[in-house]
Amino acid sequence: MSWRTIVATVLLIAGAGLELIAVLGLCTLRDLYDRLHYVGLVSYGALLIAVAIVVHSSFSLIGDKALFIGVFLVASGPVLAHTTIRSMLTRERGDWRSQIDDAARDERS
Amino acid sequence: MNEWEIAAAALGCALIPCILICLLAPAPHGLLAMEIAGVLTSTILMLLSEGFDRQPFIDLAVVLAPMSLVGSLMFARLMERSQ
Repeated sequence: MSWRTIVATVLLIAGAGLELIAVLGLCTLRDLYDRLHYVGLVSYGALLIAVAIVVHSSFSLIGDKALFIGVFLVASGPVLAHTTIRSMLTRERGDWRSQIDDAARDERS
Repeated sequence: MNEWEIAAAALGCALIPCILICLLAPAPHGLLAMEIAGVLTSTILMLLSEGFDRQPFIDLAVVLAPMSLVGSLMFARLMERSQ
């Protein structure tokens, strides 16, 4: 067994484990804002698996695309989490921009 | 069955709770489950591509990852409006 296979297997287990932990967290936690943390975590598992593929099969056609997907998912994770939390806060408490405008108007009058 | 296919099968099982949350939980929780399921599906396609040494699977993952992001952003935006 070559060192590449060993490193790729370790990265694969770590990545898959991270994704399974994220799903476990989604199932066990009850609050929406607690569950939101796992949206960012799950993409790091995808990145680890992409790196495992690159280590295993070098920069082949599959390896390049896997790395692209991993980096893309990690980059898009915070965007997704931020947009989701912003939408949920607006859904719960209304549009905060109009509240800021009202507060500024009250201060002026 | 190699290690890539085993990992793909394990992550495929992890999709089941996400689907159940999408079906049974309130809509905002379902959105989170859908976001996680999108990442999981992209990863499963990557693993299948490496496991079977077939390139079309990774092309599907390349398409799915941005589409999943756009879909989730649209759902979040529309959910903001529906009180």
